[in-house]
Amino acid sequence: MATTITKTETLVGKRIRRREDPRLITGTATYVEDIQMPGMHYAAIVRSPHAAANIRSIDVKAAAAAPGVVAVFTGKDTEKVGPVPCGASLPDLRVPHHHIMAIDRVYYVGHAVAVVVATDRYLARDAADLLEIDYDVLPAVADPEKALAPGAPAVHPQWPDNTAFNYHQEGGDIAKAFADADVVVKQRITSQRLVPNAMETRGVVAEWRGADRQLNLYTSTQVPHLVRTLVAGMLGLEENRMRVIAPEVGGGFGSKLNIYAEEALMGFVAMKIGKPVKWIESRRENFLTTIHGRGHVDYYEVAAKKDGTILGIKLKIIQDLGAYHQLLTPAIPTLSVLMMPGLYKTKNVSADIVGVFTNCVPTDAYRGAGRPEATHGIERMVDILADELGMDPAEIRLKNFVANEEFPYPTATGLTYDSGNYAAPLDKAMALADYSKILQEQVEARKQGKLVGIGISTYGEICAIGPSPATPAGGWESATVKIEPSGTVTVMTGTCQTGQGEETTFAQIAADELGVDIDNILVLRGDTSIVQYGIGTFGSRATAIGGTALYFALQELKAKVKLFGAMLLESDDVTFSGGQVTCNKSGKTKGLAEIAGATYRAMKLPPNTEPGLVATHFWEPPNFTFPFGAHIVITDIDKETGDIAIRRYIAVDDCGNIINPLIVDGQVHGGVAQGLGQALWEQAVYDDNGQLITGEFMDYAMPRAHMMPWIESSHTITPTNVNPLGVKGVGEAGTIGCSPAVVNSVVDALSHLGVRHIDMPLTPEKIWKLANAGGTN
Amino acid sequence: MKISGSYTLPLPIERAYAVMQDPAVLGRAIPGCEGLEKTGPDEYRMKMKMALASLSGAFEGKVRITDQAPPSSFRLVVEGTGRVGFVKGDGLLKLATVDGGTEVSYEGDAQVGGTMAAVGQRLIDGTAKMMIKKFFDRLAQEANAQDATE
Repeated sequence: MATTITKTETLVGKRIRRREDPRLITGTATYVEDIQMPGMHYAAIVRSPHAAANIRSIDVKAAAAAPGVVAVFTGKDTEKVGPVPCGASLPDLRVPHHHIMAIDRVYYVGHAVAVVVATDRYLARDAADLLEIDYDVLPAVADPEKALAPGAPAVHPQWPDNTAFNYHQEGGDIAKAFADADVVVKQRITSQRLVPNAMETRGVVAEWRGADRQLNLYTSTQVPHLVRTLVAGMLGLEENRMRVIAPEVGGGFGSKLNIYAEEALMGFVAMKIGKPVKWIESRRENFLTTIHGRGHVDYYEVAAKKDGTILGIKLKIIQDLGAYHQLLTPAIPTLSVLMMPGLYKTKNVSADIVGVFTNCVPTDAYRGAGRPEATHGIERMVDILADELGMDPAEIRLKNFVANEEFPYPTATGLTYDSGNYAAPLDKAMALADYSKILQEQVEARKQGKLVGIGISTYGEICAIGPSPATPAGGWESATVKIEPSGTVTVMTGTCQTGQGEETTFAQIAADELGVDIDNILVLRGDTSIVQYGIGTFGSRATAIGGTALYFALQELKAKVKLFGAMLLESDDVTFSGGQVTCNKSGKTKGLAEIAGATYRAMKLPPNTEPGLVATHFWEPPNFTFPFGAHIVITDIDKETGDIAIRRYIAVDDCGNIINPLIVDGQVHGGVAQGLGQALWEQAVYDDNGQLITGEFMDYAMPRAHMMPWIESSHTITPTNVNPLGVKGVGEAGTIGCSPAVVNSVVDALSHLGVRHIDMPLTPEKIWKLANAGGTN
Repeated sequence: MKISGSYTLPLPIERAYAVMQDPAVLGRAIPGCEGLEKTGPDEYRMKMKMALASLSGAFEGKVRITDQAPPSSFRLVVEGTGRVGFVKGDGLLKLATVDGGTEVSYEGDAQVGGTMAAVGQRLIDGTAKMMIKKFFDRLAQEANAQDATE
């Protein structure tokens, strides 16, 4: 029976609840760990306890003979599998051959050395302990600045300077900017290594159907199509013989924007043993072997006039790469360089990056990927400059903002900022904070010996990544919309959500365009055999690029619906809205389901038209988008304990048009939580021997719900003209805006004691010392 | 990790020096030791069990005694590996006569790796101190017991 469901209410812009949440919060979603198959085998990976060592010998006999064990493979067995790919290219980049398992030398603690496969996961784990590996331990280096010092141990013996690349970029006339300056401020600013810690660790199930010559790989990833293309290549398998499925993915934050050795390793094992095999990363493995984020030591110099006009910025980045390049490792700090001018109009910049190998797990994209580091740097420097000149931090920002009439604005680093009204969120945040009143309050508090800080950050970011020429893998995105014969609608997107809510936002877009009920719309993603092809979800791109691809596919489909509707109504003068085609003369209507049925039944076709109702669109964006915002943080510091209490957290974000304010708020909240994590608590610490000494939640200070302040989230709206939806992206905004606002606030609270900068995390110990002894960090 | 401290053994200096190199005594005094076997001059193979926070495991290792200058000092080099990680230590022990016996002061470097380092970091320092104290307490007891039977 063909039923016509029409609706008049539009959904885009509405605060509607996420359709995916019931299964997520009731524990009924299907993650990789939930995949069960007859004859499933389990893999346990044996990992190096040393940061640097030669492998003298590996004795697998005892492990191979253990109960339930069907196979043990070492690095020598998997030597022919292609290397873990690095997608980034820079001039003269040194790329170490990244075997999927170590062969004769290990380069970091956690480096895979062997895999034990058994009929039961606990038997596999027990047998893994029986491997006898004789290591010849070598000196290691875990700190990027120490790695650059003469005589440091070489991470890769062929490159004794531990330098993977040197990169230089400049714009304008930096020499003149510094020559003309009344004042130059300098500061070393670090952005510590962080562990991304997705709630779901990584995991892979590989199933080899030998008779069909078909490898099915279930993996927890943000980029299933890239995994298929690249892992098939590593395994020497034809790409069309491989299917990659990302079932429910429990968070990624960039850590699953990658191609991991284990994905190829499980494919290799499944093809060898002819049985399905499962590997689920333990939390401890996750700390040691999933990419880390950040790892910057930055040296800034900012030249300015006495009135606060910024003339030029110099930056030297020392990027801790870890032992290898993962998919995008060397590219991440280049994003910092692109973002280094922030929202300010200076045309003179000079940046150098030194990419440094260390005996640590590789760094790569983590929420913000290069932009939080850059924003933290420039926002700290602007505060330091304001302090130097005795200016108000808000005033100096307003003075240097790119003005509204200057958009599209070409930056010193080669970008074109699409649209902006940079003063608007700052004005709004200052009004919300009652800025002049809180300044007065701070003066009073200081008289009473109390420490109150007011911190501002006005951030910009590069989102909707990105135009294909600017990305390693193609920067477009795809969508297919299919209206089934019964009128239900299926959307297939090349993005791959890991919690961002596209099942809701994409359905909102489709529901409005087609005029159907949202419950009639199914959004599918994450399966290379269902979805045409796609790039994936990262860089705040899913809605701005994937949503736009969907929008264009819907336009194509709407035209076809109208054509069939007109044919059925026998009229040339028809309108399509509210899920039905109406004849403008007679007022007769045909519902979507009836029209859909007719397109498949195909008794009669409009001229030059195919049967069916399916449209696919691959959309290439003409530019990035550049969201912005202002965060103001008011802190109270306990002088006796060094504890920082966040009295108010005000976030005013401008991400262009908003599809679903509830989801946007959720993204801001989550982003701020991760920003606060970096600002106040989290740090991945390797000791001098390359041992990760923060390898579990007891030692790595992950923020808990009770540590979160109330976040006052609001928006200004400046649409982009890069895409017809006017949306910019918001996934990383909270993280990018947060850490400088927090640090600026705490430094402000202590500034009258001579404190000018504090490196993150702002642990109570550091704060207590500064609050009680004075001096600088 | 740097380790240093001192302990006073209620023994004359020559006797203190001797018991600290007696494999039978050491085997009983080292906490968790499940066997100490001489493999060469001043070289021993050791099996021991160690617990750290939620981790416990068997270690196999080597103990070497070098730079002997009886009765005033010697160097102890320990290496152990097990399923939960590895331990490496190198320390100089100095003996001096004091009121009530011999003061043994030690100073060295210890390195811990693998799972133990990743998950037990906060406890390594305290555990090491506790084990060292236990070791000396037992050494004193052992020596007293030996003296009583002699």
